[in-house]
Amino acid sequence: MTYCFHVGICICLVLFQTTVMPYFNIFDGFYDLLSPFVIYLSLSHSLRQSIPVILFFGFVMDSLSGGPFGLYLTTYVWLFVGVRWIVTFLHVGDSFLLPFVVAAGVLLQNCIFIGTIAMFKPGTQFLSAAISTVTVQVLWAIFTGPIFLMFFNYSHNRLNRWRKKVFVKES
Amino acid sequence: MVMIIGVIVLIAVNIILLSVSNRYYQSYGPGRIAISLIAPFQEAVSRSIRFVKDIWVHYFFLVETAKENDIYKKALSHAVEKDNLHKELKLSNNRLRSLLNFQKTITDEVISAEVIGKDSSPWFNTIMIDKGKHDGVKKGAAVVIPEGIVGQVAEVSTNYSKILLIIDHNSAVDALVQRTRARGIIKGASSDRCLFKYVLRKKGVAVGDTVVSSGLDGVFLKGLPVGRVSGVIRPNSGIFQEVSVTPYVDFEKLEEVLVVLNPKKDKFQSEQ
Repeated sequence: MTYCFHVGICICLVLFQTTVMPYFNIFDGFYDLLSPFVIYLSLSHSLRQSIPVILFFGFVMDSLSGGPFGLYLTTYVWLFVGVRWIVTFLHVGDSFLLPFVVAAGVLLQNCIFIGTIAMFKPGTQFLSAAISTVTVQVLWAIFTGPIFLMFFNYSHNRLNRWRKKVFVKES
Repeated sequence: MVMIIGVIVLIAVNIILLSVSNRYYQSYGPGRIAISLIAPFQEAVSRSIRFVKDIWVHYFFLVETAKENDIYKKALSHAVEKDNLHKELKLSNNRLRSLLNFQKTITDEVISAEVIGKDSSPWFNTIMIDKGKHDGVKKGAAVVIPEGIVGQVAEVSTNYSKILLIIDHNSAVDALVQRTRARGIIKGASSDRCLFKYVLRKKGVAVGDTVVSSGLDGVFLKGLPVGRVSGVIRPNSGIFQEVSVTPYVDFEKLEEVLVVLNPKKDKFQSEQ
């Protein structure tokens, strides 16, 4: 059931960011919506529940994107590992820290993307564009990231409650 | 200490794997499966959005339409004037063609496709279209619209294809300046700009010049509009000048494209 929930959410996010968001200019500089979901998985779910979803949607995003194959997979795995590592010494569940965790995640993703382009396409000129894109994405992440995390958490809790209700009724 | 070494080793392995996939990855199976899985949903959502948008534009947004109508009326009167001029030019062109015994321009077979999804990352510029192998689309085929070159097919699944736009870092189009015939390579630079690279310093390029495809890359037909020169920097040293080009195609508003199914290259080879 949890897997179904995760896959459903991820499909909605992928569809939203590839089909709906391009119609609105305001979302031009928006960050990858799967990043907050990966952060949510690493904060609230076990390795067994998270890794298959992360690998599968990393693969899906790599197939849909024009970047080198494995780039999204790399980004999501390192993001997951990074957040797991951070929670060992920082209480990230605190709502005050959530915006910064999402922003850091988005920053990490952009660093990996820029690093990959710079490594495989030497001579690419994108410094000024890169700075503005990353800044806009990080700002979006600070303000909207926690909302997504809370939404994922709320939806999952609702689903759990509904599942418990159904099973109690049946028994 | 062991953990730090482990992380460094993992990063190194990761970079090597990315490098290998960047150079040698050819998507034949799994990539296509993922596209086939997600693309139908993208198609459904895109169609729904367009349906709602059409209702909004045709029924609720008529104030703006009335204003546009006035603008179009003015534009039409100018167009009629230009049309007369073009008719004259067409007639003289036909006369000259027949005079020089030019071969009739081969009209390539094209197929129209709808854009059903866009790359979510600002670092890469690709789109998904609703035509694939079943419709005759092949990897490497040129994708155009009347305004100019859009890109080329990067990946084909049964019913859907991924298009690499000319504004992507990985894209390269052999092109020339229409006015002076200065040749170079159009490379993607950002979401609204391309770089016209390897143009010799001594060649004349000016802001406002039109850049067209040269046809030498074997993908795009000769003479297709690419964009307008928006900036020229001639450094004191070096053999090339730095030219930036603004594409004619508005990639933000791209909804339908044409895929060239039988590029001239194939015809040329079969004629040999």
